[in-house]
Amino acid sequence: MELSRRGFLKGAAGAAGVGMAYGLSSAAPALAVEASEEWKLVNTEEYTNICCYCAGGCGSLCSVRDGELINLEGDPDHPVNEGGLCPKGATMFQLRNVVDPKTREVTKSKVRQTKPLVRRPNSTKWEPISWEDAVKEIALKVKATRDKGFVETEEVNGKQLTVNRCESIASLGGSQQNSEEEYLILKMMRALGIVAIDNQARV
Amino acid sequence: MTTHWADMQNADVILNIGSNSAENHPVSSKWLNKAHEKGAIWIVVDPRYTRTAEMADIYCPIRSGTDIAFYGGLYNYMIENLIEPGLYEYMTTGKMDKYNFEYLINYTNASYILEKDYEFDPETGLFSGWDPETETYNSHSWHYETDHEEPWDTSAGGAYAWAVKDGVPQFEKPVLTVPKMDKTLTNPRCVYQVFKQHYSRYTMEKVCEVCGMDIEDLRTVYAAWCTSCAPGKAGAILYALGQTQHTYGAQNTRAMSVLQLLSGNVGVPGGGVCALRGEPNVQGATDMGMLVNEQPAYLKWANTTDRDSLAHWLESQTYSDGYYTNKPKFMVSALKEWYGDNATVKNDYGYDWWPKVPSHDGSDWTEMSSFEKMKDGTIQGYFAWGMNPCHSAPNSSNVRRSMAHLDWNVVVDQVITETASFWDAPDMDATQIGTTCYFLPCALIYEKPGTILNSGRWMQWRYQAVEPWDEAKPDYEICDLLWREICRLYAEEGGANPDPILKMKWDYYLDGKIDPRPVSWALNGYRVKSSDWKSGFESGANGALAAGNVDLLAGYSELGADGSTACGMWIYSGFYANSAAPLDPAQQAIGRRNNKDTSGLGLYSDWAFAWPNNRRIIYNRASADMQGQPWAPDKALVKWDKKAKKWLSGYDNGLDIPDFAASKTLADGTVQAIEPNNKAFFMLWEQNGRLESYGMVDGPLPEHYEPFETPLSENLLNGRLNSPCFLGRPSADGNKELGTMFSLESTRRGSADEFPIVATTYSVTEHWQTGGQTRACPALVEAFPGDMIEMSPELAAEKGIGNGDKVRVWNKRASVVVTAVVTKRVRPLTVNGKTQHLVGMTHHYSWGKLYGNTLQGAVNDLTPNVGDPNSQTPEYKAFLVNIEKA
Amino acid sequence: MTEKAMLFDTARCTACKGCQVACKCWNNLPSGDGGCADSMDFKGVYQNPADINGTTRLIMTFNEFEAPESQKRMGWAFGRRSCQHCTDAGCVQICPAGALFRDEETGMITHDANKCVGCQYCSTACPYDVPRYDKLAGRPDPVINKCYGCVDRIHNGMAPACVTTCQPGALQFGDRDEMIRLAHEAVDRLQAKGFTDACVYGEEEMGGLHVIQVLKYGIEDHGQVANPKKSVLNTVHDYTAPVVGGIAGLVFLGLAGMTALSAGAEKHDQVIYNPETTDTLDMNTGAVLKHGDGQGTKSFKQYMSQVPIFKKWGEDDHE
Repeated sequence: MELSRRGFLKGAAGAAGVGMAYGLSSAAPALAVEASEEWKLVNTEEYTNICCYCAGGCGSLCSVRDGELINLEGDPDHPVNEGGLCPKGATMFQLRNVVDPKTREVTKSKVRQTKPLVRRPNSTKWEPISWEDAVKEIALKVKATRDKGFVETEEVNGKQLTVNRCESIASLGGSQQNSEEEYLILKMMRALGIVAIDNQARV
Repeated sequence: MTTHWADMQNADVILNIGSNSAENHPVSSKWLNKAHEKGAIWIVVDPRYTRTAEMADIYCPIRSGTDIAFYGGLYNYMIENLIEPGLYEYMTTGKMDKYNFEYLINYTNASYILEKDYEFDPETGLFSGWDPETETYNSHSWHYETDHEEPWDTSAGGAYAWAVKDGVPQFEKPVLTVPKMDKTLTNPRCVYQVFKQHYSRYTMEKVCEVCGMDIEDLRTVYAAWCTSCAPGKAGAILYALGQTQHTYGAQNTRAMSVLQLLSGNVGVPGGGVCALRGEPNVQGATDMGMLVNEQPAYLKWANTTDRDSLAHWLESQTYSDGYYTNKPKFMVSALKEWYGDNATVKNDYGYDWWPKVPSHDGSDWTEMSSFEKMKDGTIQGYFAWGMNPCHSAPNSSNVRRSMAHLDWNVVVDQVITETASFWDAPDMDATQIGTTCYFLPCALIYEKPGTILNSGRWMQWRYQAVEPWDEAKPDYEICDLLWREICRLYAEEGGANPDPILKMKWDYYLDGKIDPRPVSWALNGYRVKSSDWKSGFESGANGALAAGNVDLLAGYSELGADGSTACGMWIYSGFYANSAAPLDPAQQAIGRRNNKDTSGLGLYSDWAFAWPNNRRIIYNRASADMQGQPWAPDKALVKWDKKAKKWLSGYDNGLDIPDFAASKTLADGTVQAIEPNNKAFFMLWEQNGRLESYGMVDGPLPEHYEPFETPLSENLLNGRLNSPCFLGRPSADGNKELGTMFSLESTRRGSADEFPIVATTYSVTEHWQTGGQTRACPALVEAFPGDMIEMSPELAAEKGIGNGDKVRVWNKRASVVVTAVVTKRVRPLTVNGKTQHLVGMTHHYSWGKLYGNTLQGAVNDLTPNVGDPNSQTPEYKAFLVNIEKA
Repeated sequence: MTEKAMLFDTARCTACKGCQVACKCWNNLPSGDGGCADSMDFKGVYQNPADINGTTRLIMTFNEFEAPESQKRMGWAFGRRSCQHCTDAGCVQICPAGALFRDEETGMITHDANKCVGCQYCSTACPYDVPRYDKLAGRPDPVINKCYGCVDRIHNGMAPACVTTCQPGALQFGDRDEMIRLAHEAVDRLQAKGFTDACVYGEEEMGGLHVIQVLKYGIEDHGQVANPKKSVLNTVHDYTAPVVGGIAGLVFLGLAGMTALSAGAEKHDQVIYNPETTDTLDMNTGAVLKHGDGQGTKSFKQYMSQVPIFKKWGEDDHE
């Protein structure tokens, strides 16, 4: 199978950038220049991704060095955006990494929350919780709530129907996830018997 | 959308209405600019002069919420200026240079005769079939009159022999009711004549009175649009939430579809109804049917009335003709994927394990109603997956108060959203809220792999670039953790009917870990017998499996209704079909990266995969005439080769894949081409586009009604102020006997006396939705650091407000303070002879603790919890407020 | 390499600010600090930050106006405010530290913040008031910060970050001749549509800019400078004859360009030239603005540390 110039999974280390076309009206050939030490993308691998904002489906390139994101910009091979990204897309790097205004070092986002939290009834603050405990607690609550209000059969217009319905839980969301994740969320929620399932497509 | 982004370059006329594509769908600009520079006329109809309006040639202001009046006027203008003057000549000579009569007469239902008792009464503003008791329509009279009936041929060798094979569930087969037609369009009950009569009230003068624009601007717009109606010309309508977020939003989208059918613009390059979808994978989520009444791939979910058993589902859902005659294949294959070996023909393939949505009592379970159900104690537990209703839902302060009734709340997100921390809002007292709230941190898009769809139905693969930071996890892993623990509890302890849980197929593991790729196989579909899910999948070399096996389907034409195939999403079938390398997305159709365009139209058919079956422009039969020849020779999508007697199509011919029945397989297995016919819309049973439709709950033709909150005391076009059956309409006595009536607190209607200003909401290009992502990016916050209210200099002067001032905006639901942008881009309109002021607000910021300027509440505290009765979409785009300098 | 240029076509620009933030991301520039702390406050205008600053090298400008004769009855002119990469670049000529220089292959004006001594002289030399100064950790004075044309990207076969990200195709990059050709095509198209003030900008200005612009509504509506001229400082520098004391005439010549410009940077509106040392000095403070003998950075800094206003630069300063 023929693959395009840009590796489908990752670009050759060290060659990132070199060989990229301008994608411009002038047919200037790409310049084969030795990547210097200061070159931001030196020794990076490229991974293609798709933007997380509107449904344009613009392609992006993530440049990664030593397992860390170094740069993110539009995928110049992508036929829809041809390397372009709007301000939101062009800033996707900052969802993970930001520049500290004081030190000018690239640090992890300070407003992203990366540990599970719980807020107990009537409490005024979040508390840390382990993944293990959070999953156990939530599963217990799901089961208790489902078991309490589950409707297995129902008489409708004189007919006894199997309805297997859990009216006491609702699930909202899905358009932020990848399709495989949507399918898993949907299967889980429907298996529980949930009918109040909805997502951003509604609004 | 029916087309895709790159196709916009082929438009001859561009109409942005209810969309601000330059700001909210910036990738469109590249393609619209190309069309524009090639000479396309660009029209923007919008309550304010947006960044898109600056790009356009023509700008026409409009009062928020009056789009149907605008479309009705355009239909009337087209009928008076294009259709009526040319119809006789076309009928007698076949000549049509300004208007595509061939399209109208053959590809739409213009010639169909309606039932005798079809009626619309302008005095009452109601169509026939209205029941004042239940406040619902019976749509019987909106149907076609039947000419004759044709039953399915299920005999051996018959077209529907498959429907009686072993393993296919028993169901009563549909009967095709062939409608009566009048191809001369003269019968007074034919759709064209009924349509013409209906919109004769929509004169330009009346439209201007309702919508508020100058008549000369309206004439300019209408005349420009009409140039797209000539055969070979294409007009594209670009719409977004400005059309859908109304109590008649679905009728707005109907109105656009009708306009495009009437203009001959559906299925042609550069045409189409371009729904600019606003979320990264909202196309995927819609396809997935993550909605109360839906199942994946545009099939309906089980309910308690016409879908209360598998047989009833098959009987009510299977079409009598067209492609949806195949629904039993899609349905049985879906159930096989949901329940695997547990699904058999004997147990109706597990259909009864699916929860049945209550449809007998008129109750609503969509997002808007869910907050009512939290308050009355029905809903006690809540999952929010990357959605933020405490900021984004209408009347969001009411949402926060509703959520305080929950027992528990789980939010999966990247930042602590307003929904995660609703108990911490300025208007809440955390010590009085007993809800246990969990926040689960999720991975970013480039921290996990998977499939995403764009607005053009393209399926593309996201490769994981980096590991999730810290303890964040992909949603699929979070989901799997919860699922396994819930299953463990039910397996060990029992509980309310555990079968729907424990019988579920959930074996999407690779090397012992949950993995999206086996889910991709499930979505694509596989042959059941030759696939081995039991051994557990282990990865081998070059994308192959070392253990386990999956025999992927090449496409949905391979699906059976007999349990031999399993497929989670029939429309996706073919996107991931290479069984030799099931672990490597790059070796699948979804992973294709050939960006060479052979069509000259930007189809890019060898890049990724577009559902269905890699068709880039759907309804593409309509791009060619009755003989199968393209309306414009340089804009061919498919073409009938008269000599070879076959359809030319596909990437190698520089064409698209036919989105119609181009061939059929005979009993002996030979494939025979189907000669050109008029069946251009084969996803409908009548296979013609519907100018009139019996499928909506609120009327067969789009009719203008006022928003829930309107500055007018009467509807200038008919006798009914509001849409007759919108969701959340309050009853006079406040009781909630009828299912969709909401509590007063949820809606709180204000009057024009108290709140004389029409308000709308929207986004700026620098931010996105409730800002959970964009407010976390310093560069974007800096680019637009707060919420604004845009208003005209005239209104600002009246209220003593200067640019940059803080402004209090209030109505009966809430009061918020935002920053004024005083601009000539907002103009006072003249509505029904009076000056009408409009304001617009962004809704990105709130009290949540991210970067930028915070508000005490959120702009959506002001919007009413009412919506469309078909789509249950809230009315964010037109409501009333008052303002003062804060 | 042939001479390169960016092309900015205002008729295609939607002012989405993709370029503005892509510049920040590529260059790892922070927001809301370093240059303009209040840029995180909304002031009721789309244009934000209000101007380029020490951590913002590029902004989109917004200008709405009435146009009674047009169907739309108004216009909203979007502009690009950033370095124009002049051929006749006053900033390069005036920089006493050799911190600003031309990338000979592309024609872009780039800079080396390590060499910058913080004299801020380039700002007054620039007819577009572009150079800004960033307060970096560990540096006593703010150092130059401006668009450097992404010459590293260009040398690695890529377009500048702002150009790459531009969705509507308003920014392009390529051979300067080609960009000029495209610009004229665009202007012809606009003229035919009735935009009678549409023009190409940058073809001749300042010896030829390396940002060529298509200005839909003409020069002023898009915030550009008509007839840009180098500042008086450059004028003084260009004089080979000794000029001592009475240079009022020269000051007058240069001020026309200067007064409309620089905000923030210290103005030196009277300068003197010492023919014996070939130094250029500020007449009021006696500070040496331009050292005449082209010394290296190190000796220059050492020299500057003796001058009163640069006293804070010690002998043991950062190198």
